[in-house]
Amino acid sequence: MADKQKHLPLVDGGEKKMVTIAFFVMLALFTAATAYTQFNPFTILKEQSTFWNFITQDFLPPDIAKAKGLWSAMLQTLGMALAATFIASCLAFVFAFLGSGTTAPYPWLSKIIRAVGSFTRNIPALVWSFILVMAFGIGTSVGLIALTVETFGFLLRAFIETIDEVGSESLEALNACGADYFQKLAQCVIPAAIPGYISWFLYCIEVNIRSSTIVGMVGGGGVGLVLMIYIKSFKYHVAGAIILAIAAVVILVDLTTNWLRKRVLV
Amino acid sequence: MSKPLIVEHLTKSYGPGSLAVDDVSFEVKQGEFVAIIGPSGAGKSTILRCINRMVEPSDGRILFEGNDISHVQGKKLRDARRRIGMIFQHYNLVYRLTVMQNVMHGRLGYMSTMDGILNRYKEEDKEKALKLLNKVGLLEYMYKRASELSGGQKQRVGIVRALMQEPSLLLCDEPIASLDPNSSKVIMDLIYELTKEWNISCIVNLHQVHVAKEYATRIIGIRQGKLVFDGPPSELTNVMIEEIYNTSMENLMINGEVRAVG
Ligand SMILES: Nc1ncnc2c1ncn2[C@@H]1O[C@H](COP(=O)(O)OP(=O)(O)OP(=O)(O)O)[C@@H](O)[C@H]1O
Ligand SMILES: [Mg+2]
Repeated sequence: MADKQKHLPLVDGGEKKMVTIAFFVMLALFTAATAYTQFNPFTILKEQSTFWNFITQDFLPPDIAKAKGLWSAMLQTLGMALAATFIASCLAFVFAFLGSGTTAPYPWLSKIIRAVGSFTRNIPALVWSFILVMAFGIGTSVGLIALTVETFGFLLRAFIETIDEVGSESLEALNACGADYFQKLAQCVIPAAIPGYISWFLYCIEVNIRSSTIVGMVGGGGVGLVLMIYIKSFKYHVAGAIILAIAAVVILVDLTTNWLRKRVLV
Repeated sequence: MSKPLIVEHLTKSYGPGSLAVDDVSFEVKQGEFVAIIGPSGAGKSTILRCINRMVEPSDGRILFEGNDISHVQGKKLRDARRRIGMIFQHYNLVYRLTVMQNVMHGRLGYMSTMDGILNRYKEEDKEKALKLLNKVGLLEYMYKRASELSGGQKQRVGIVRALMQEPSLLLCDEPIASLDPNSSKVIMDLIYELTKEWNISCIVNLHQVHVAKEYATRIIGIRQGKLVFDGPPSELTNVMIEEIYNTSMENLMINGEVRAVG
C-alpha cells in the first residue's frame, strides 16, 4: 500500500529477529525432549482411576499408630538438616573471605577455593550419599556428611557473592583510616554482609529439610529410611501417614523461617 | 616540622600510553587550606589517592611528616594513613552500622587487631566522638543507622570519622559534589573551621571554582595530569581559569557563578 504509515519499531530490528529465532529454537528443543521421553499427557487422564484407587485404598486412611519410631526418626532428619546447615555455614563463612575478590589475601588461593566450592556444589547430596553409603554403610552420619558437603559448596558461593556485593567504597574508607585486615572484616565486611548471610542460611535450612528426607531414603538414616522400609514392605497406610507427617513438618519449618526472615532482616 | 607534605615529581600511569598524573610537585605547609581544581579526568582524584597510597604512584616521592612513604607497606603504611584523614564524595560509610560505630572507625589505626574487632574503644575516645558529633549537630543521631541519614548528615559523619583519626593532613575528594547548595556550605564551613581550629593541613578537590576561591588559602590547577597553576586565589585570574579548563569563561558560568561542573 502506497499510503501506509511508516512503522517505527521500538527495538532494533536485528535484535528482534534474534529473539524470535531463539524462541522457536527453544520451542523445538523442548518439544523434541518431551517427545523423546514418550510422555503422553493423556496417560494420566486415562489411567486416573488406577491412580485414585491406589491413593484411596492403599494409602488412605493413613495409619499413624503403626508408624513405630516415626517421631524419633523425624527428629533425626530435622537434626541432620540443621546440623548440616550449621556446620556448612561455619565453614563457608571462613572460606568465603578467602574466596571473594574483595577480601581475598591471595588471588591464587581464591581460585582454588572457588573451584572446591563448585566441585562440592555440583555433585548433589544424593550422589554424595550413594558414595558414602558404599564406603561407610547406612546411617545418619552418612546423610549428615552428604548434606554438609553439598550445602558447603552452595553457601560458599552464596557468601562469596554476598561479600562481593559489599562494595569497595566503605572498605576504602577503612583502609584510609589505617585499619588492618581483620579489623576491616569485623567492622565493615561482616556487618554489611549479615543480611545476606542470614537469608541464605535460612534458605538452606528449608532446602535441607527436604533433601535430608531424600538422602535418608538412600541410606542416610532418619525419617526417609523409615519411610523406605514401610514402602518396601508394602505397608502403604503407614507410609501414607509418614508422608503426611513429613509434609506437615516441611510446612512448619517454612513458616518458621519466613517468620524469622521478616523479624531479622530489616 | 613546617612541611607536613611534600609531593615530588609524582607520576601515575594506569596503563601504557597515557599518564593520569604527569610529574606533579608541590608542598603543603601546616594549616594550609589547598584547593585542587581542574576539568573532569584531569587527575585530581589520582593525586589525592596517591598521597595516602590508595593508589600506587608509578614514579616520584611522597614525603609525609618528613618520612618518604612512597614505598612503605604493612604496619608503616597503616601508621602513615592513620595520620591522614580522608573525606569522600560518596561518604563511604558502613551503612548498616550506627553513626557512633562509623565515627569510631577513625580510631582503628591506633588499636590492636583484637581491640578493633571487639569494639574495645577507649572511653576517652568515645567522649571525644560525642563532642565532635555535638559540634557538627548530630548528637541526637548517634544511635541511628548511617543508612537513615540525609546526604549532608552522612558527610558530617564522614568528617567526624576523619577527625577522630587526629590527622595532621585531611584529604577531601569532592566532598560537596553530591550535595545541594545549602548542605554544601555547611560542609565546607565545617571542614574549614575544624581544620583551622586544630591546625590541620587540608587538600580539597573541587569542581566549583567559586568555592575554591572562597575557602582556599592556595589553589592548584591541574590540566591533563600536569600542574598548570599554583598560587593564592588572588592570582587565579579569569584568563588562568580559562587556561586550566581549556574553554572560555561563558562556558564555565552557571547563574553567574563559576562552577565548572566536570
Ligand atoms: N582505576 C583506574 N584505572 C584506569 N584508569 C583510571 C583509573 N582511575 C582513573 N583513571 C583515569 O585517570 C585519569 C584521571 O582520573 P581522575 O579520577 O584522577 O580524574 P579527576 O580529575 O578526579 O576527574 P573528576 O573530576 O571527573 O573526578 C582519567 O583519564 C581516568 O580515566
Ligand atoms: Mg575525581
